[in-house]
Amino acid sequence: MSKTEVKRSLQHKLSLRLIQALAVFIAGVYLILHIVITPAFEELEISRAATDLIRAERSIQTDIDNLEAVTLDWGPWDDIYEYVAGRNPGFQKSNLNRPTLTNLGLDVLAVYELGSQLRWAQLLVDGEERPLADLSIFGADDPGSQILTAHDDVTSRTVGIVLTELGPLLISSQPILRSDDSGPVAGAVVMGQFLNEARLDRLRERTEVDMSWMNLEEFLANDERTPSDIELGILPVKISDSTITNCMVLADIFGTPLLVISSKTPRNISYLGRQTVNAALLFLAIAGILLMFIVWSYMKGTVITPIERLTTHMDKIRESGDLSDKLNLQTRDEIGLLARQYDSLTTEVHETRAALLHQSFKAGKADTAAEVLHNIRNAMTPMINGLDRLYKAFKVTDGLHVSEAVENLSAADCPPDRAVKYIQYLGASFDRVKSVNSEATDDLKVVISQARQVEAILSDQEKFTNVAPVAENLVIDEVVEEAAHVLPKESSTEIDVDVDEDLTKFRVHAHRIGLLQVLGNLILNAHESIERANSAGGQIALYAKDTVLDNKQMVQLTVRDNGCGFEEEVRNKIFQRGFSSKAKGDTTGLGLHWCANAVASMGGRIFADSQGEGMGAEFHVLLPAAQGG
Amino acid sequence: MDSHHDYENIRVLIADDDEHILQAYRDAFSDAETTQEVRVLDALAAELFASKDVEDDEPRFDVVACSQGDDAISLARKAADGGEPFDVVILDVRMPPGIDGVEAGSQIRELDPDVEIVFVTGFSDVPLEELQRRVPPPMKLHYFNKPLSFIQLAQDVASMVRAH
Repeated sequence: MSKTEVKRSLQHKLSLRLIQALAVFIAGVYLILHIVITPAFEELEISRAATDLIRAERSIQTDIDNLEAVTLDWGPWDDIYEYVAGRNPGFQKSNLNRPTLTNLGLDVLAVYELGSQLRWAQLLVDGEERPLADLSIFGADDPGSQILTAHDDVTSRTVGIVLTELGPLLISSQPILRSDDSGPVAGAVVMGQFLNEARLDRLRERTEVDMSWMNLEEFLANDERTPSDIELGILPVKISDSTITNCMVLADIFGTPLLVISSKTPRNISYLGRQTVNAALLFLAIAGILLMFIVWSYMKGTVITPIERLTTHMDKIRESGDLSDKLNLQTRDEIGLLARQYDSLTTEVHETRAALLHQSFKAGKADTAAEVLHNIRNAMTPMINGLDRLYKAFKVTDGLHVSEAVENLSAADCPPDRAVKYIQYLGASFDRVKSVNSEATDDLKVVISQARQVEAILSDQEKFTNVAPVAENLVIDEVVEEAAHVLPKESSTEIDVDVDEDLTKFRVHAHRIGLLQVLGNLILNAHESIERANSAGGQIALYAKDTVLDNKQMVQLTVRDNGCGFEEEVRNKIFQRGFSSKAKGDTTGLGLHWCANAVASMGGRIFADSQGEGMGAEFHVLLPAAQGG
Repeated sequence: MDSHHDYENIRVLIADDDEHILQAYRDAFSDAETTQEVRVLDALAAELFASKDVEDDEPRFDVVACSQGDDAISLARKAADGGEPFDVVILDVRMPPGIDGVEAGSQIRELDPDVEIVFVTGFSDVPLEELQRRVPPPMKLHYFNKPLSFIQLAQDVASMVRAH
């Protein structure tokens, strides 16, 4: 998996988790609203619908009660009592007329004498007087008419609803008594009010219930039940999308199921409930999305982006190997702390690596030196033994009596036989010297051979020494800062060292120790040049810029001083071996010749500029720019 | 074995991976060889100049040389088994590619507790204390740094043997 995929994975995982959490939240809220809240609204709505039905029924009952109250006002009344007894003929004229019906809100008013004999009656239908017979309830053939037209005792009364040919009629019948409720019963007074549309409208207006009625047959038109199967009271509720319909079977004055009143309650509550739930869902969804966005933004800013920066930084360091590169994440949270600890760790590793490189370089040199020592000692052993033998060879004549033999041979008195012996001895001595000389020649060859071997070993070592140590990516300003330590703490001249802040931006690929020594040398040279110029206000400036050399990206570091400078003709000699513009015995540092070699070994170049003596100098060091960072 | 040979040749085993050095050893330890010409010259000198014959008290060596530690161990074992163990074993410390001189010396010490073992090296990263620990006893362990005079070494070797 690539690093980019890793980063995206983190973002995607967070986004996915937030979306999942939002979806679960919305689903949870949806279920709660629709399983708990919405049914509660429906229950409330059904309860309200049931109440509407009761109110409708109550309103009818109230009208009946009112009708009964009027009847009760008329029944025990001496004037009507006398009237039905035939003793108060004026009663009819003053009380039994249309205005009375209108004033009392009656549709029917009938006064019966004893024996159900109609004395007076008036029926108003839509403002028109109609014969009472049109009702078909008071005739002799009409079943049960007796309970309306005759009463056996003073407490008898009939109140309720009857179905007439002209529609349902609220009816109340009272016995006609004396005003003090005493009998005997003189007749019956009957009052009625049609349960027509006009009355229903008034009831609807009063109760604010959409109520209506229908007769039982009509109600059962599409039902298998017969009127005898129907019980009085409330019927099962009918619920449609828009209304709840409640019905109640009412009985007539005989206790027989007569008609069905119904109330239709619009489903406003569940509608409003649904609207509320949907609005709540919408609000919660928007709030959830907003919250998710806020959480995502916060996580992006505080976690993902810093971790991305950390990951990118780690990748960058892994690719470039430049441990001096810092993340510099300044947040105060745990990730900021992690980043700072990582920076601190890389700094320690960077320093440790530099120390190890240096140590390794030194250890390598020590190992090499030990090996060279071993080889040279091995080579010198035959040399020494050869020289030992040569020494002995040169002393071969010490044991010979050549001079003595020549002297004795030259003597006049030397006997001939002795002379022969002396000559033999001289010959043997010559052979001895020749033999030793021959051996000495061989020994000398060995010495020469071994000397050449020592020279070869040293030559190899020189080649090895010239191999550049391990190069690494270096931040210029860190090397400059360390190199500047070469400056003496106390100086005869006050010198201001100006290190350009932009040096932190430049990284080179070079050998740390070598570059330190080169920069240290240049800084020290600048310092000494200023001191030699002996002028006040000495300045050393260090700055860098990017440049290109032989199609390679380079960094040009410049050390500029306002010291004594040099003439143009010196410019080409300044890096030559042994050249020095300093006074004899005033030389410190490694020398510009060494610097030039060191920079060249790092794949760089060095050159110098000056406007002339007393005009200061600039030394430019070009080094390969660090790759990958 | 208190003393190997008072007047017989001293048996020396030498191991060094440098052929030039081996040759130098051979030259140094065979220096006492006397040719016919020298004997004739010495006889004439004695007759003509009343010169005394040099007393022949120079040590004489039987030198066996090899270039690897393993070979040195084999030669030492073979000599010990044959009843003629070496008086002195001279070992270079570094003898690539085989085992080093210290390991060879350690194994030879196990074969012959009396043999004088001499380490000669141009450079050794093995401290003397470790050498003494691995090749005991210290009295029979000797250490020389190259370069050195093998003629002098030959005399030192003779002294070691005669001291016992």
